[in-house]
Amino acid sequence: MSSSSVEYHKKELPSKVRTIGTTLFAAGLIIVALGYVTDPVRSAYNNIVGLTFLISVGVGSLFLLALEYVAGAVWSTPFRRVTEFLAANIYIIPLLAIPLLLNVNTVFHWTHPESADKTMINKAPYLNVTFFIVRVVVFWLLWLGFYYFISRNSVKQDTSHDQSLSKLNIKLSTIFIPIFAITISFAAIDWLMSLSPKWFSTIFGVYYFSGTVLAALAAGTIFIVLLNEKGYFVKGLSSDHYYSLGALLFAFTNFWAYIAFSQYLLIWYANLPEETIWFIARWQGSWKFISIGLVFVHFVIPYFGLLSQPSKMNPKRLLAMSGWLLFAHYYDLYWMTMPNYGKDGVVLGWIELGFPLLIAGLIMLVFNFKAKSQNLVPIGDPKLKRGIDFRL
Amino acid sequence: MSTVDLTQELSVIEGKPPLRELDDLISKPIDAKASKKFYIALTISGSMLSLLVIGLGLTFYYGIGMWGNNIPVGWAFDITNFVFWVGIGHAGTLISAILFLLRQKWRTGIARFAEGMTIFAVMTAGLFPLIHVGRPWLAAYLFPYPNQHSIWVNFDSPLLWDVFAVSTYFIVSLIFWYVGLIPDFATLRERTNHKIKKITYSIFGLGWRFSNKHWQHYEMVYLILAGFATPLVLSVHTIVSFDFAVSILPGWHATIFPPYFVAGAVFSGFAMVQNVLIIVRKVFNYEHIITLDTLEKMNKIMLLTGSMVGYAYAMEFFIAWYSGLPIERFTFINRAFGPYAWAYWIMISCNVISPQLFWSRKIRRTIPVMFVIAIFVNIGMWFERFVIIVSSLSRDFLPSSWHLFVPTYTDFMILIGSFGFFFTWLLLFAKALPVVSMAEVKATVTGSQPSHGGH
Amino acid sequence: MSGKILYSYTGIFDTPDQIIHAAEKAVEEGYTKYDVNTPYPVHGMDKAMKLKPSKLGYFALVFGLSGTLSALLTIWWMSAINYPIVIGGKPLFSFPAYVPIMFEVTVLSAAIMTVVVMLFFFFKLPNNSHPLHGTVYMKKVSADKYGISIQADDPKFSESSVRKFLEGVHAAEIIPIYWDEEEINHQNKIFEPKFIVFLAAVALITSGVTYFSFNKLMYMVPFNWMMDQPKLSAQQQSPIFADGFGMRLPVAGTVARGYMLYQFTGQPDSAGKTLVNPIPVSKESLALGKTKFDIYCSPCHGYNADGASRLRGQFPNPPSLHSDKVRTWTDGRIFAVITEGQNIMPSYSSQLSVDERWAVINYIRALQRALNAKESDVQ
Repeated sequence: MSSSSVEYHKKELPSKVRTIGTTLFAAGLIIVALGYVTDPVRSAYNNIVGLTFLISVGVGSLFLLALEYVAGAVWSTPFRRVTEFLAANIYIIPLLAIPLLLNVNTVFHWTHPESADKTMINKAPYLNVTFFIVRVVVFWLLWLGFYYFISRNSVKQDTSHDQSLSKLNIKLSTIFIPIFAITISFAAIDWLMSLSPKWFSTIFGVYYFSGTVLAALAAGTIFIVLLNEKGYFVKGLSSDHYYSLGALLFAFTNFWAYIAFSQYLLIWYANLPEETIWFIARWQGSWKFISIGLVFVHFVIPYFGLLSQPSKMNPKRLLAMSGWLLFAHYYDLYWMTMPNYGKDGVVLGWIELGFPLLIAGLIMLVFNFKAKSQNLVPIGDPKLKRGIDFRL
Repeated sequence: MSTVDLTQELSVIEGKPPLRELDDLISKPIDAKASKKFYIALTISGSMLSLLVIGLGLTFYYGIGMWGNNIPVGWAFDITNFVFWVGIGHAGTLISAILFLLRQKWRTGIARFAEGMTIFAVMTAGLFPLIHVGRPWLAAYLFPYPNQHSIWVNFDSPLLWDVFAVSTYFIVSLIFWYVGLIPDFATLRERTNHKIKKITYSIFGLGWRFSNKHWQHYEMVYLILAGFATPLVLSVHTIVSFDFAVSILPGWHATIFPPYFVAGAVFSGFAMVQNVLIIVRKVFNYEHIITLDTLEKMNKIMLLTGSMVGYAYAMEFFIAWYSGLPIERFTFINRAFGPYAWAYWIMISCNVISPQLFWSRKIRRTIPVMFVIAIFVNIGMWFERFVIIVSSLSRDFLPSSWHLFVPTYTDFMILIGSFGFFFTWLLLFAKALPVVSMAEVKATVTGSQPSHGGH
Repeated sequence: MSGKILYSYTGIFDTPDQIIHAAEKAVEEGYTKYDVNTPYPVHGMDKAMKLKPSKLGYFALVFGLSGTLSALLTIWWMSAINYPIVIGGKPLFSFPAYVPIMFEVTVLSAAIMTVVVMLFFFFKLPNNSHPLHGTVYMKKVSADKYGISIQADDPKFSESSVRKFLEGVHAAEIIPIYWDEEEINHQNKIFEPKFIVFLAAVALITSGVTYFSFNKLMYMVPFNWMMDQPKLSAQQQSPIFADGFGMRLPVAGTVARGYMLYQFTGQPDSAGKTLVNPIPVSKESLALGKTKFDIYCSPCHGYNADGASRLRGQFPNPPSLHSDKVRTWTDGRIFAVITEGQNIMPSYSSQLSVDERWAVINYIRALQRALNAKESDVQ
């Protein structure tokens, strides 16, 4: 009973994952390239949406991975590899970050010293191009380093079945979590908050964090449900596993709403001009409808979609809601970024289509690539047996 | 036990005690005559309570001019104590509701006690807004009822939201607690032969029959209540934080206040629960029910929430600088190096630095050390509220109105007395009711559930 | 023993596995009126007993949402309809500010009502007279044993078959449970004198306490209702000052804000020559003048300033203000009369402010002109 060995025969992913991934990636790449040629400024703003989304999925997954180790969760062990594969997207962050760093002057207005007033001069020690690039690189290296070691230990365990590797990962994860909290907050300040350089909000890092976790969970859930329904996991997952995933999605939907409402209410109530500018910009012209829509897209619909107990266990509902939440997160990032570009009203056209396609393709390709070289189930993990037998 | 086998689930209750022994152990303090220690403890808390009575008497007779509050520091010890005590309550709901939803079985040993602490802490907290009214017998005006002035309360005011939040929190906690107590009342009813006790337990046990047709709904309701209590507990301290954050006072108006206050509340609450439990497990011999593992997990949560609070301090400081606004920058520099710097650094060292010791597994499992750290955390969290409230208020927008707050002896009497109030209730609770849930503990003992999961 | 009525046959088991097995078998046998009693919820019992999932979640949802809605409607009615008042420059109906209370009321009503529905409607508690109470069986299942109870009113019940069934699932003990005779022959005791006396006592004490607290207690120390204040009232003594007066004269040379010294006391003619009406004739000043005139002047001078007093001879009628004398007076001269009084007319300087006096004068001029209109005025 106590032996941790579980019988597992590796099943290759169908080739269509690669085909679809390549198609999406190619289509996205063409649109993005065309966009950068025809309208570089608008494309750069879209690039920010795309980049922050990729950070959400990649780094968010690494956080979920660390969370499993630290919390000693067993229920998520059978499909931990999915989270690991998604975290591998950290590798490709530069692909989206480099075009932006080249265009840093077009999107970040604090880079123009000529427009600086006293407030901006006060901020200059933080908001300057050199320090910005240093931060971007350091954060990325930190994420990459932790991903590399945690996933290497996890893969090693497949053959060695060594419990000490788990314990090593627990240590690594414990160190990673505070680093994650700091880096993700400052990444949010750098990429999103500094777009309106005078605006500030202390909760902003937490706000981005809530969306990050939600996106990573949703992306993971899509792969987990699809793979499980096709029988890629040992013995298959029970409805209790689904329920736990659904409950987490539901919880973070609420958490996001809580953080978003707190930020809005406090700024609305105090009515200080240096703070309200951000919301006023999102209330101009047709942005108003996007702002109101955010409440429904990101909260009301997923809330009622995941409220009842059976809906959290239903694979179809989970799949639909995870897809919806990924869209919602993209919508949220779009809502945070694009009003800095289109100040009078919503900007929506073929250019906006490029990055979602590109990223969807990339995530599938990275997943496919990882799934080829590694097992889909961490067969050496000591918690695996308990994880498969997990019942609420 | 330095090596942990990850393939095995840790058992919550140490050993495999027979269920009847658990009943005996848990109901022993209720059935047995109170010991000398109990009366000594009651005397101490009772004399602290009498300080409260005197302090309140002075306040009501002479008015709240007896306190050190004076413009611009119109809020001081009263609301500091209020926020402190509401915060203490949060750990109880966290343990009973959030950890229940997360299926953390180690909570069973401590849940009942922590819930009790929630209720008493909220009662203590509720005293402060009432006495700050000055004429508490008019406090009914806080509720929107059709009164003789034919006007309504101000629904835009976060102080009114507090009235709703705290009273809802108290009522729901009480319901949650009572629902958990019903089966235990029934067990006690069956155990006792004492006539009055039997009648009392019968009344409160409502004639519970341990029927599985009931248990099914009962578990569902427990889940629903936990599901409601979880956002509720977040909302309560969120609304408490709104008392400050909706204002435009620098140092109060920060968007991070809601989650930061909630983390701080859980932090201080856990410290208080841990302090009290260390004593309880020793006095009542509950070492096997409230195990060292449980205490270690609580320490981990304190480390986590302590670091979250540290994150919020740092983020507030950073954003104050980042805003580039002179007034924001001044407020925080003043906090750290101004007249209340001593309070600020007590807060930082107690709240951020001291829990970092919990990174060491050895310290996490050494009871005297964790006891001291938890006391530090409580002190630090009290000072956190003091720093936020007093340091911001004492530096008004006009330097000519700057004024430092100096507490009076009445302030201290009420502060010490509030501890007396809380601990008196707690002692009476420990004597009168089972401080550990019998039904829940029994359900988590190894071998108490069917071995093959009933298909 | 023979007179007792059988309620059920119960079997007691030692392990959770056995009780699950027994419950499954009971379902297989087709028993419908049976129950399983265990000291804590045993996992998998719902499936073994084939219980339907609890519907209480729907109650929580319905009560919760109705809480939200009623909170919203109440707040909206109170702060935007019934007593609209602008607070902090926010709209009368400021939805974001209502979200916290709406949420609290949602949780409150859902939590209370779900528990009430469960305890009092689903379980029909409190019920301390159930036949299972006060039995050895209940003592055991409340502590560490697991029991099944098959009721006598089950259609498939017969003593021998149930006994056989319980033996078949290896019950450690089989106990028959009987209805309590006292409870069967229970009589309504509402009209017993003891109970009525008890009710009367409760009523008396409640009303007495209520009367005392609302009519007496609330007016005792320290409930002082702010009537006792440490300040001096007019005419009170004060030991602080050497002369013992509580009321003090202002510092010499003090001038009250807005106070202008009247320079022409006793010299109405020079006032008439010097003072000029600073208030131009306008709709507003005439309206103000009319108001003040109607209040202070018309009782004696009449609404039209023709001396038609309403005092019916209790006070000498003043002459008409339409006389040539008054018409040729300057505004300053009339001002002197209002300020100081004339003959029997007292001073109106404490009733009418300076501006109001000039406005009244404007109005008097308008009245005078109305009674002596020239042709040019018609245009």
